[in-house]
Parts: sequence; structure tokens; C-alpha cells
Amino acid sequence: MTAPADVGLPEPMPRDGGTPALPAPAPLSVPQHLRGHYAGFASRFIAFVFDCVLSIAVFEIVLAAASFASSVLTGTSIHWNRGNLWVVLAFFAWEFLYYAYFWTASGKTPGMQLVGVQVVGRDGSHVGTRRGLVRTLAFPLSFLLLGLGFVGILLGRDHRALHDSIADTAVVYTWDARAARLRFLAREGNGRR
Amino acid sequence: MAQGVAQRVIELVVEVLDVNALIVRIDLNAVLARVELNGLLGRVDLNQVIDRVDLNQVIDRVDLNQVIDRVDLNQVIDRVDMNKLMARVDINEIAGRLDIEALVKNTDLGALLASSSSTIVTEAVDLGRSHAVSMDDTLTRWVSRLRRNHTGRAGPPELLDAQEEP
Repeated sequence: MTAPADVGLPEPMPRDGGTPALPAPAPLSVPQHLRGHYAGFASRFIAFVFDCVLSIAVFEIVLAAASFASSVLTGTSIHWNRGNLWVVLAFFAWEFLYYAYFWTASGKTPGMQLVGVQVVGRDGSHVGTRRGLVRTLAFPLSFLLLGLGFVGILLGRDHRALHDSIADTAVVYTWDARAARLRFLAREGNGRR
Repeated sequence: MAQGVAQRVIELVVEVLDVNALIVRIDLNAVLARVELNGLLGRVDLNQVIDRVDLNQVIDRVDLNQVIDRVDLNQVIDRVDMNKLMARVDINEIAGRLDIEALVKNTDLGALLASSSSTIVTEAVDLGRSHAVSMDDTLTRWVSRLRRNHTGRAGPPELLDAQEEP
């Protein structure tokens, strides 16, 4: 088993307790220490939306390039619609590769990186190739069950979705809220001087 | 009686003595060159010495600028084993006594910190994440209320245990 430190959480701190803080400025009035705590629904949803936009945008660009090349070489262009089975298959393959690569490699898709969350093993260890692949394969199941697979994020004690339960993973915050607060104070102090 | 007289004579001599004039006449670099500083530092209980000396009185009588001008500090520093010296200092205790937040807020360290991170992007990301976490907390509270004070677990136990280690 990999130590939690390998997951990119070098100095995780407890959410409760710690040193008494100064009155928190409005935009950062969130708990000071979040690293290693289960991520909630909103953070995960925002990360997912960002990933959707990014992956579809990249797919569209590649498809446009392929369509242009095809029209130049063969005289027929490729169109992105449900009727074109090859494009649909390519889209699902691309989505699979996108999530599988990021989850197995680092546990973080670009959207998760932006929001400051990460997929880890249920025990906090590195997600690894096997669990990353299982999670990617199980991910569509949460949609196919009319979205019921995501209810666990809201109602479960560990905020785990169906695909998390299947792959034995969890999603935690990797965001260092304390460093963010220090940056905020630094900017505030400089603005005043 | 002889001892009393001797003591009185010493007191008079000390009072008359011009410490600065004395220091001027001493080649401090030569003295320092002959002292084995590391050995000396290792044998001295500095805290005990400092406790017994009235530093303010000593400092009042010494022209520190003149002393500093005459000492080749680089040479002194070169001869001190910094690793050994640092090993004797409890950095954590010193750091624990610092008000980091006040330091960042009121010094150029803050400017450095702020300028070293690409501010606008970092600020926007911090703000977005803060809002996302606030929404997470709100949702968790609602669910907790709906499920009658159902409380979730904070995080994977191993990660949380690792956080509590020093």
C-alpha cells in the first residue's frame, strides 16, 4: 500500500482544531484545513463540468482537423452527429482515454486540478492503474441508473458515488486552504500600503 | 582587612577604567584568531551566562559600532560550524512563537509571496475553490438536517492520521 504522502498530500492538516485564526476575510471564510477530507458534491460537479467542456472542446478541434484533412484528401468531410457511428465511437473512446489517463496517472483530471480535489484509494493511498481503470469503466453506470449513482456523494458518510464504491476509491480535497489564506492576507496587506 | 582593601581598589579601578579606550588598544581580530570558537561555544551554557549578565548595562558602556567596525565578521562566521550551532537551536519552537499571519500581512515577505504567485489567476482560483467548498458545506448541512443530524466522516482515516503527525 502506498503511503498517503505519495498522493500529493504532503502536509495534510485536520479540519478541526489547530491554531486560532484571525477573523476570516469574506471570500475565504471556509474551513482552514481541507487536505485529505472527502470532497463534496459541488466541488466534484464543477470539476466534472469543466472536464466535459475541455474534453469536448479538444474532441471538436481534433474532429475539425480530421474533417478538414478528409475533405482535402477524399473530398468528404466528417460531421459530428448521432448518425455517424464512427464519430460516436471515437467520442466515447476519447472520453474513456481522457478519464482513464488522468485518474490512473495522478488521480486528477484538469477539472479536478482546478477545483483542488483528487481521486484516491478508499484508504487514502494512490489510486493506481487497476482502480483508475475500474473507476473509468464504472463511471457511466452512475449516469445509466438515472443519476442515482451520484446520490451517494450527497447522502453517504464518505461522499462516495457508485463508481467510487465499485472501484474502491474516494475523492478528497488536495487544496491547501491555509496557503490560499496567506496569499490573500499578503495581497490585502500590500493593497493597504 | 586586606581583602576589603583589595576589593575597594578593584572597584575603584573598574570605575576609572575606560572600556572603550581599552577595546581600542586590543587587536580583537588577533584575539579572535587565537580562540577555538566551536570548542568554546560547545562548552558554554549560553543561557546561564545570559541570565547572569545585565546586558543593558554592558551595552550602555560599549560603543558597539566601533567594536563591529574592527571585527572581521566574515572571518568569525567562517570559523563557526553553523550546522552544529543550528542543531542546538529548536527551530520549531522559534517558528511556533512567530505570528506568521501578521508577518505575511505587514512585511515585504507578503509582497514577495504575493508577487511570486501569478496573482490574478491564483486569486480567481482561490475564490472559485472557496465558493465550491462553501457550497459543499451548505449541501452537507442540508443533508445533515434532512437526515436528522446524520454526520459524515471527515476523510480517509489514513490521510487524517497522517495529518496529525508532526
